[in-house]
Amino acid sequence: MKKRLPGIIFCMVLIFILALLTGCTGAGKEKSTFTFATWAAGEELKEFDAIIEKVNREAGGQYQVEVLSIPSDYYVKLATYIAANKTPDFFWLTQELISKYAQLGAIADLTEMFEDSKGLTPDQYYPGVLRSATYNGRFYGLPWIANPLVVYYNKDLFAAAGVAYPPATGGWTWDELIETAKALTRTEQDDYGNNYQQYGCIVDGWPNIETFIWAGGGDIIAENGVDILLDSEETIQGLTILHKILNAGITPPYREVGSLGSNNVWFEKQRVAMFMGGIQDNFEVKISKLPEKEQFRIGYAPMPVGLDGKAHSFNWTASTVMSRKLAKKQTAYEVMEKITLEFFKWKIASPISGEVERIVEIAPAKEPALETIQICLNNARSANYVPEWNEINHNLWLKLYNAMLNEGDFDYKSQVKAIAEEARKLIANRK
Amino acid sequence: MKKSQIGFLFILPWLLGLIIFTVFPIIAALYISMTDWSIIGQETFIGFRNFGNIFSDPAFYKALLVTMRYAVLAIPLTIIMALLVALSVNNQYKGIGIFRTIFYMPSIVSGVAVAIVFKWILDPSYGALNSLLRIFGITGPNWLYDSAWVLPSYLIMAVWGASGGLYIYLAALKDIPKELYEAATIDGAGWRQKIRYVTLPMLTPILFYNLVIGLIGAFRKFTDAYVLGGAGEEGVFYMVYLYRQAFSFYKMGYATALAWILFVIILGLTLIINYTKKYWVYSERK
Repeated sequence: MKKRLPGIIFCMVLIFILALLTGCTGAGKEKSTFTFATWAAGEELKEFDAIIEKVNREAGGQYQVEVLSIPSDYYVKLATYIAANKTPDFFWLTQELISKYAQLGAIADLTEMFEDSKGLTPDQYYPGVLRSATYNGRFYGLPWIANPLVVYYNKDLFAAAGVAYPPATGGWTWDELIETAKALTRTEQDDYGNNYQQYGCIVDGWPNIETFIWAGGGDIIAENGVDILLDSEETIQGLTILHKILNAGITPPYREVGSLGSNNVWFEKQRVAMFMGGIQDNFEVKISKLPEKEQFRIGYAPMPVGLDGKAHSFNWTASTVMSRKLAKKQTAYEVMEKITLEFFKWKIASPISGEVERIVEIAPAKEPALETIQICLNNARSANYVPEWNEINHNLWLKLYNAMLNEGDFDYKSQVKAIAEEARKLIANRK
Repeated sequence: MKKSQIGFLFILPWLLGLIIFTVFPIIAALYISMTDWSIIGQETFIGFRNFGNIFSDPAFYKALLVTMRYAVLAIPLTIIMALLVALSVNNQYKGIGIFRTIFYMPSIVSGVAVAIVFKWILDPSYGALNSLLRIFGITGPNWLYDSAWVLPSYLIMAVWGASGGLYIYLAALKDIPKELYEAATIDGAGWRQKIRYVTLPMLTPILFYNLVIGLIGAFRKFTDAYVLGGAGEEGVFYMVYLYRQAFSFYKMGYATALAWILFVIILGLTLIINYTKKYWVYSERK
């Protein structure tokens, strides 16, 4: 036994090392099997699984798609997969990160396959939506959702205040929104005789800063992805609109918003009359589930027209992207395209034009909003996302928007110039 | 085979674990700190440039200042609070176990849950704290929404969770020989003198331990700061700043360099505290 012991220990150590090495090299994968990473969880994941199952069924064994669910810390885990050389074949990516992942060479350039495709082509997309999936003029993702901003309003509060509804087809200006909000900001009494403040609208970091910058005709970064426009006259005019809203007493003070949980709850509880939210927001269903006494009628208006004469609707989009290791793999692209086409039937709203009617199939309660939604989709706009976007946006939030929310007399004009300089330095250091 | 060789083979799995999971990551971290690496791309060796960039970044100094200011105030506050609680629950009264459990509870609650609860407590309009102040006719501050009150907000949270070290203090208190108190009584010492000349000197090794652990904890403050933030940059603690560099801005090389700087800061401060040990920490060894 004494003589055999070292041999046994040696074998155990060898097995341990081999097990580690096996883990490091990764298991071999069939070329016809693809992994699709998603942040979907719970009910959304079940729906996602059903779509993948359908695609697999229709593939008739030619290929198989496997779901990789990453419901929390999605981007941290995704980055770890990529660093470990285990990049999922397809994965969801939010618009802000497409340029970063493209610059770092993690995702495939889809331009040729996308332009040559017979199933889904760039010209089918709303331009403002597709723009978010580009970097240096090339396509890196297939957007599968469009969620531009729309103004939801409480028709009953408008009627009680004797204020005319905003036009469902648009044309109202930011000054008109402010004046409307002023008329709707009143002291009301609850059932117990306690006074409370009803506000016209709510701005608490949402809508995002782009909405206001665009309202002034300005922008953060020029289309060339290099020039910083933050300190332009137009951008400052846009920030002045935001400053005006925050200091007109028409929105709950920032420090109070959290008291109800989140900004949308203020609208649901009829504490604000107007809410700028994505077309996907399901207020209709939420309100219908409230006790009858607390229900109200919802109206819809496009975003106000800015100083440049356009009613920009900030649009949030996510895209399906493909691992760079699959670049120029036609089969892989076709699989990804097929799945993306299925997503169009699933989410509000489809990012391709001519499909607005489909919204009613997914969410029948949205029917009264269709006309307005179509306008918002036409006006959908993405920022000019660059690899340094997260840092620039972080500065804009922490040093500008947050400060404007907390301090009424904050010198935003000087601050935005300082942030512009920092942004220029970041761009100058781009590799 | 020699007995010592067999012994070595027995510890080999542990040794391999140490090399693979501790030594190798430390060496890798040192290398990563000298690279321009974004996790998802190829790394480029850039020498000490990350360190140079860090020392010329105003955000680094701001995060360091926020963290140091917190550490300077929170560490003594939490030590004093924990000690006071330990002294008050040290005696064997009926039901004292319930109080000990209540005081110890903060240390077993998840950091995220604590942060969420404090978000409500510190709510300027409807929070428990300002509602309490209102009863006394005091208009409470805006806490996390006012840059001047962000630090006091975090200090309140720190004090609330201070009794995490309760059981260590209790164990140390139980360890103080009764003879010392008896001798002090014979010498005519009152309770204040007993605490001043017996309890505190005998507790200095534990105070030293808690000071070092508190220092490490204060500089590594992350969870509640990440969840709650604070007005402007006042809620950006060092670790939050580091995390953002790594996982929001994809600057893993830069973030790893930040981690090394934090390591050096903590090590330096610990060495300084250790140097002062001979002046104030009681030791039976001479």
